[in-house]
Parts: sequence; structure tokens; C-alpha cells
Amino acid sequence: VSKGKTPRTAPAAVPADGNGDGILRRHAEQEFAEELAELAKVDDKPKPPNWKLSPWAARTYLLGGKLDNGFEVTPKYVGNARLIEIAVATLATDRALLLYGLPGTAKSWVSEHLAAAIAGDSALLIQGTAGTDETALRYGWNYARLLAEGPSLNALVPSPMMRAMRTGKLARVEELTRIGSDVQDTLITILSEKTLPIPELDTEVQAQRGFNVIATANNRDKGVNELSSALLRRFNTVVLPVPETLDDEVQIVDRRVNQLGRALQLPAEKPALEEIRRVVTVFRELRDGVTVDGKTKLKSPSGTLSTAEAISVVNNGMAVAGYYGDGVLRAADLAAGITGTIVKDPVQDRVVWLEYLQTVVKDRDGWKDLYRACREVV
Amino acid sequence: MGVHIFGIRHHGPGCARSLQAALAALRPDVLLIEGPPDAQEVLPLLRHETLKPPVALLVYPPEAPHRAAFYPFAVFSPEWQALRFAGEHDIPARFMDLPQWHRLAMKEDDGEKEPSSPVDQSAPPTANGVPVAEPSEEAGEPALQDDPLGMLAVAAGYRDHELWWEHQIEQRQDPTGLFQGIMEAMTELRARARPLREDEALREAYMRQTIRAAEQEGFERIAVVCGAWHAPVLADLSTAGEDAALLKGLPKTKVAATWVPWTYSRLSYRSGYGAGVTSPGWYDHLWTSPDRAAVRWATHAARLLRAEDLDASAASVIETVRLAEALAALRELPMPGLAELHEAVRTVLCGGDATPMRLIRDRLEIGDRLGEVPAETPAVPLQKDLEAQQKRLRLKPTTEIQNLDLDLRKENERARSRLLYRLRLLNIPWGEPQRVSGKAAGTFHELWRLQWQVEFAVSIIEAAVWGNTVESAAAAAVCGQADTANELPALTELLDGAILADLPPAVGHVLDRLQTQAAVAADVRHLMEALPPLARVARYGDVRGTRTDQVLPVLNGLFERIIVGLPGACGSLDDEAAARMVAGIGHVQESLNLLDDAGRRGEWQQVLGQLLDGDGIHGLVRGWSCRLLLEQRVIDGDELHRRARLSLSPAVPALQAGAWIEGLLRGSGLVLLHEDALWAALDRWLADLSAETFVELVPLLRRAFAGFQAPERRAMAEKVKTLGDGLRTRKPAAGGESTVIINRERADLVLPVLAHVLDAGRGI
Repeated sequence: VSKGKTPRTAPAAVPADGNGDGILRRHAEQEFAEELAELAKVDDKPKPPNWKLSPWAARTYLLGGKLDNGFEVTPKYVGNARLIEIAVATLATDRALLLYGLPGTAKSWVSEHLAAAIAGDSALLIQGTAGTDETALRYGWNYARLLAEGPSLNALVPSPMMRAMRTGKLARVEELTRIGSDVQDTLITILSEKTLPIPELDTEVQAQRGFNVIATANNRDKGVNELSSALLRRFNTVVLPVPETLDDEVQIVDRRVNQLGRALQLPAEKPALEEIRRVVTVFRELRDGVTVDGKTKLKSPSGTLSTAEAISVVNNGMAVAGYYGDGVLRAADLAAGITGTIVKDPVQDRVVWLEYLQTVVKDRDGWKDLYRACREVV
Repeated sequence: MGVHIFGIRHHGPGCARSLQAALAALRPDVLLIEGPPDAQEVLPLLRHETLKPPVALLVYPPEAPHRAAFYPFAVFSPEWQALRFAGEHDIPARFMDLPQWHRLAMKEDDGEKEPSSPVDQSAPPTANGVPVAEPSEEAGEPALQDDPLGMLAVAAGYRDHELWWEHQIEQRQDPTGLFQGIMEAMTELRARARPLREDEALREAYMRQTIRAAEQEGFERIAVVCGAWHAPVLADLSTAGEDAALLKGLPKTKVAATWVPWTYSRLSYRSGYGAGVTSPGWYDHLWTSPDRAAVRWATHAARLLRAEDLDASAASVIETVRLAEALAALRELPMPGLAELHEAVRTVLCGGDATPMRLIRDRLEIGDRLGEVPAETPAVPLQKDLEAQQKRLRLKPTTEIQNLDLDLRKENERARSRLLYRLRLLNIPWGEPQRVSGKAAGTFHELWRLQWQVEFAVSIIEAAVWGNTVESAAAAAVCGQADTANELPALTELLDGAILADLPPAVGHVLDRLQTQAAVAADVRHLMEALPPLARVARYGDVRGTRTDQVLPVLNGLFERIIVGLPGACGSLDDEAAARMVAGIGHVQESLNLLDDAGRRGEWQQVLGQLLDGDGIHGLVRGWSCRLLLEQRVIDGDELHRRARLSLSPAVPALQAGAWIEGLLRGSGLVLLHEDALWAALDRWLADLSAETFVELVPLLRRAFAGFQAPERRAMAEKVKTLGDGLRTRKPAAGGESTVIINRERADLVLPVLAHVLDAGRGI
């Protein structure tokens, strides 16, 4: 079978029960199996042990590009290429990688694709929550077996981490800072000694070459468990930034709003790009602490003001316009949503928002309606 | 042929190293270097051991020192190394560029505008004619000639020429064939370049002439060190006739040259110096520790972070170097460069955080090295400019103390004041402004106390870094300080200084900074303190004619932020903070009184009203707001009465009540005397008190009045007495005068003067 012409519905790793059409979301290595295969074909650079692709090919997989044989690899991450280079180089030096950033900056996305490209398997995933305990990072027990047969390797339930160590693959830990500090510290031995002791059986699992950890964490959330410096020291930290330009962000918001609007069957018309641009501008300016023209400095509120929140504000505005207004998105429909998103702390954020309204929105051409609408809400 | 041409990049450590090796191999008997022949006479100072790079050659016309040209040298500059080589081997070194005595004269003829902003002084277009980074003088697309290396770099797939040059030339370990390679590349580029600008052609003609002269003198191994761009055309010496014709009849002017200390930050692009390098610190590092540059660099970075109390373990340094090397491998580079190290330091040592990287950027990548020049160096132009001004304004520097009374309405005296203030900004406190006492002194009066100190001579050399005239140096110094100052009070102080010293561009710059910092200033008190000086300028302009339209936007910005932030800032204050806050509120009120703007006044009164009612706001602040509103007739006697009862009722803690009344009665007792409504309200409140409550409150009242002077207290008591009469009897207080206690002894002292004023003849 010529791989180059294989349709996307017939990749190598299809679940056994059928053609996979019913699956809502497929893993990166399934979705992009063809690209990975093409890359592997032309990849003649040296590979670190147990890597499916060389660092160069992994970079091309994430950033996109044209292969020597004319095959086009789609870009998975649009943004600063150097960040991806740092991430790949980090994994190549055997250091764990921590992807840090605001919510909605494609941390998990990058982590999944890195795992798919390097280990060919992005499913060794540990989701960090406040309830994640040590068994999720180390191993658990099959109690029926434990009682029936006594402690043995057969009664052991390995975690994704342990499986990654055994097979020399990449383990992914999502939302690392949500895991309790005591559980987080389990990672220290794994990362520095590359071994997982099993004292009950007086044995251990030693990591195969190629094993590594990619963790993601959110740097804006409050009340999370800060990483201890001992753990942080074992990670190389790459901070993923928010979209670089206003236009990029407006595009992202526009595309997502349209998709969501259709899915929710909102009665409002597709919002004018102008209105979206205003919301994105407000969010960007407050987030960056400076106006887009770079002339006025601003205070930033406590909230994240991510692209995802801009999407939800516009969506909410469309719903208001559709159900209670004339179906056209106007400043008044947005005011409550914007204010609610920005003013998370009733004292400090309110000051920030008022200052912004007074010093920036008030005097901006064509923004009078937004100013009036927002002042009414505050 | 005995001419050997070495095309280099100015400030390239790799070039410098290759040049060193090449010169050692060649053993030339004369060195010709691209530089100003005007400076030939100060070259011997190179052998002086206290001349330490970075230093700059300064060439300037003595009568117009602001039109100077700088030629900076760092220890890693190839020219510097060439000069050092000449010194060590005792062979003549000569500068061969077109002399500034021609170039400055030509510009004079062209009527070229002098740089308008003193801040730009450091970036004269003539500085060190570097082909790689010469600022494009024509607008539009950067052409081949402006950035020939850029074109080569793009062709090689690099983003910028810096990187390309660093990878290809500076990091090259083996210098063999380097200069040959540069020559070939440049020959190719020159063949395709558009025709030279006239001044470029002149410069190259002059260089060729210098080489010919050296040949005729009989030197056999002539080493020529020049910018790579010029290298190809200097090889061909067949155009003697044309060159001579070209150079004939050039205008000439008188110039002087000297060495000045330079800094790495001025070498970098950041300070707008055209021929600079982005990271002098990195180049210095490459020069001083070429082997294991990455390891040493990462270690330096870690030590720097540690000095600032940031974690940076030795293990992290190892990981930093490993990551930098992996990145270099991924990018297919022979060794990690600055970009890779920068990213690795950020990723490993700084935990991805960009903030500590600013420290690394400033202290390591740019570096804070300051050069030194020997004491024998000819005077800097700043010194000459100062001397000229001293002569013109008839201010003689002496070490004796002199007192000077200046009337700013006179042009000459204003100029004197200006000079003294400018010198103060340059850290040369020759004059000390004295407080003008007495009401006769208006804003046009200034008292100075002058004393010249010998160490000012050193201060002048240090200040010369900022500029060549007192005016431009002071302006640049203010701008430089404003850029690093982050506190509003420091900025307002600078603004005051700049206004007094009459430095309009600096005033504009400081105002910009002030606006920027006001936006992020968290402390409303700082905002309030910044307001009065601005308001004064906005209201009265200034005797010196500062333009008020620059000030108003900043003032408005500050005011808006105060309005928004003040109520929040007044919560939960302790006594000390409350006292400071009250002083700040006073500043705002004072400024508003000056500005007399109904709109702002309304907003302000609204805020004061909020403070009045606010829970958890310190009594002092509430009392003071009450008083201010009363003075502005926003609240009347009845309202005050109600508030007094409310604030002083038994349920209120005694300390808060005391503070309230202290706030209400704050400030000058004399002003207070005229607030009849206040006294009436207090009187009514007191009269309403039951006997027990009154006894409880007496200490509070005593305390509130304790701050006033004895005569003020007496006058107040008088007031209360007559006030009481008036209220009780509803009659005009007639008996008031008769009860005035006259201190006869003191009164007698006044009488002669009164008599003199009224009529001298009458006697007593």
C-alpha cells in the first residue's frame, strides 16, 4: 500500500472495534499518522535512543514544512519556532520539560504532539487534579489478585509513568501544579534517579533510554500547589506566550466563535469582525498592560483574559443579542460580559477597569458606545 | 607588493583575534588604520597605562563642540588591537580615514542641520564608518550598500547579519584565509553595489592616498586595517590621479581631538549609536575567555543571579550548558552562540521567567564596564563649553564662597541660573540654591551660594560621557536618569530639575516617563505628591516659559488615577499612613485651587464626599475631607453639625473621634479662624453634649488643639468667645475689641514703625 495516497481514515493505529469513525477525538499519532510516517521515511539524521524521529524531524513535525520528497507537513504550533526548538532540545538532553503558560496557550497540544512525534505514543497521560494520588504516578494494586496470590508483579497495576519507564517512552503530566505537593515530590526520584522502586516486592523499575516527562502547568491560577524548587530544578521551563499579534488573536476568536455559534444554534447573526476586534483589543491591552499603540501604560487585572475568555465573551454577547436584542451584536450586549470577565476581584480589578475606561476607552474614536455601556454596568 | 589589507568588522572579537595572529605573522613596518588622522597627536596616550578601554576618540571643532564625532574602541575592537600591536612593536600607526577637519567643514558648507535633540549626540552619522550597520540616510528599503552583510546573511538563510557574522567569522577558530575570504565576498558585493555616495568616495580616495604616501616613504610591509566594505577598493592603487583630483580643494576647519571614557551600554544599539554591537558584554567575554566560552558565560549568569538572591545552582549551570549545546546541535551550529545561551539561561536558570533575563541582558550581555583616560588627556569639549559660558556670564569659579542674588526677569541672570541648575543635574554642585525668605521674593527671585571645588574637574570628565555642551549633557543625563527611575517622586524631582534648568527636550522625555510610571504606580500617595509641581507649571507657565500644553495631559492622567484610586487607598490606614494620606489630599486640593477647573473640582468633591462616608476610613482623613468640603461650601453648617455629632458620638472609639476632630481642625489656625460655619457647628455640637460626655471628650479636644501655636490658640479662644456672644444674644459682637489683651511691651516696639509709615512728623 502506498502510504502517500492512503486516505486519512485508514491509518495504522485504528481501534480494534472498527474504522474509528465514531471516535470523537483521535490521538495525535493516529490523526497525523501519515505525516509521521512520511517524516520517518526521509529522516536520516541521528536519533537519540528509542526516539521514533530525530530532533530535526520532530521540529519539522511541529512547525510544519515541506519535505525533500515534496510532502507537505502541516504546522501544529503557530508561533515562535525557537520555543519548539528549545523544547525538543530539552528532551534530547534527557531533561524533563515543563510547559508553562496561561490557559489556552496550546500547552497540552504541544505536549501531545511532542509525545506523538518522539515516542509515537501520546496516550501515557496522567491528568493532574487535587485528587491525584501517588498510585497515579507510581503503581497501584489489583486487590483481588493481591489477596488471592499474594504480592507479585502480576498483582501490580502500573501507572502510565511506570509503563513509559519500561518502554522508554514519554509520559505526560497535565496540570502539574494541581497535584498536591507531597504527590508532586514523587517525581523527584523518577526524574533524577530514573528509577521507580517497588519496596513491597523488593525490586524496582529502571527507566529505559528514551524515557522522559513532559509536564504542563498553568502560571495564572491561584491556590495551586507551587512546585518545590527541588522539583522545579529538574525541569527545563518553556513559557508559551499568548498569540503574538492582534490580528492572529482576532482570527482565532473569529473562527472559534463561528464554530461554537453554529454548534449552539445561536439566533444572532455572525458578529462583525469589528466588534470582535474591540473585545480582543480590550483583553490584549489589559493583559499586556499597555495600549496597542504602545503609548499608554495600563494596570493589569488579576484575571487571565485569555483568548478563550474573549471567545466566551463574544459568544455570550451573541446569545444576549439573539434572545433579548435585535440579533445584531452591539456594545451593550458585550458590556456585562466584558466587565464580568475583567472584574474578578471586586476592589482591585474594579479600579483597573475604571481606570482603563477613563483613560483609554473614553477618548478612543468610535468607542463611545462601549464606554457608555460599560460605565452603566460598573 | 608590500600592502596587506585586512578587512574587518568594527568591534568584532573574532576579527580582532584573527588580526592579531595575522599581524604577528606579517610583522609589518607600518600600520594604517581606518580612523581620523585628526587624532594623530593624542595617539601616544595609548601607551599610557591608565588608558583603559572602552574609550572613544573624540574629534570636534573647538568653537562648536556639539558637532563632535566619536570613534569608540573596546578591548575587542580590531582597531584597538592593531593600535596596541603597533605600540608593543614600536612601529608607526597612522589613521587614514578622511579627516574630520574636512568632513566637519563639508557639513558646515552643506548647512547640515545640527542634531536637534541633545540625546542623539552620541549618534553622529559620521561615527566610525561601519558598512554593516551604518544608518541608512535615505528613507526606504535598506539597500545593498547600507547593509551588505545583511544581504549575504539573508542569502545564507540567516535572519540578521549579526548572527551570520558571528557564526561565520567571530566564532571561527581557525583564522587562516579569513581575510582572503572577506576580501572575496566584499569584492563580489562591491561589484554589484550601487554607486558610492560622494562622501564615501572621498573617504576611500583619502585612504588610498594615505597608503600611497606610506609606500613612497619606503615602508615595505604596510598593514591596512579597514572596514570590510572598503577592503576591495583599497587594493587597487592605480587611480592616483583621480583620487588627487577628487580630494582637491576640500574645505577645512579647525578641529581638536581627545580621548573620553566610554561605556559598553553606549556601544550597544540601545543607546542609538549607529556602529554599535548589540551585546558588547558577550563580545568582551568571547575576547577575554575564548575557550569554554559557554561554560564561563553560564557560570557568570548564575553568579549574577545568586548575587540578586535568585536560586542558581551549579547543577543548573551544567544543564544550561547542555541545553545550549543541544540547541546549537539542533540548529546545526559549531558551538552555542549568544542566542542559544540566552535561551538556555532563561529556560533552565530562570525557570522560563523573562524578568531575571533583563538583569542578564543589562549586566552581562551589555555589561557595565566604564573606560578610563589618563589625567594628561586634553580637556574635553564639555570643559571648554563650560569655560566659555563662565566667561560669557561673568561667573568666575573660585573656591571661596560667594552669594549670588539672581533676578530671573533679566536675560543674563536667567542664563546664570540655568547654567547652575544644569551643572547640578550633571552632578557638579557648584551652586547651592538657597531658600528665598521674605514675602518680597516672588518666583523671579533666586539666591545662590557658589563654591567651586577642585574635584569638579573630575566630575566634568565623567559628565562628558553625556554630551559635549553643558546643555546637551544635562539633557542627556536627565533622560538617562529618567529611564532608570521607577518611582514617581524621583521623576517629579527630575522634572523639577529639568524645568529649572530649561531643558525642553528633557522635560518632554521626563513627562513621558512620568505618564508611563503613573499608570503602573500602585501608590496613590505618590501620584498625589506628583501633582502640585505639575499644577504650578500648568497654571503659571513658568518664568522660564515652559510650555504648559505638554504638562496638561500628564496632569489629567494623574488626576484621573487619583480619583479612581483614592477611595480604595484610604481604607485601613494606621495613624502615620493617615497623616501622610491627608498631606497628599492637601496636595491635590492645592493643585485644584491653582487650576480652577470646575469639572475637575466637581469630580474631586465627589471623591471627598465618598471619603466622608466611608466605613473603615481613618478619622483624620474623614475630618480633613469634611473640612475641605466645608471650605468649598459643598456642605453647610447644619450638615457639619450633623457630621460632628455622628463622628464624635459616644459609640465612636475615642481615638477615631479625636482623629476626626484633628483632621477637621488641621492646617493653619489663621485660616481656620475665618471659617465661621465651622465654629458655629462645633459650638452647637458642644452645647448639645451632656455633662458626662463632655467630660469624656475634653481630652480629645485638648489634643486636637494642641498642635496650634499659643497665639493661634488665643485668637481662637477669642473667636469662640465672641461667637458665643453672637449666638446667644443674636447681637453683633460689640465687646470683642475691648477684650483684646495687649502686650504693651511688644506693642511699643511696633509703634515707631507705624508712626514712620503713617506720618513721620507726628511723633508718639
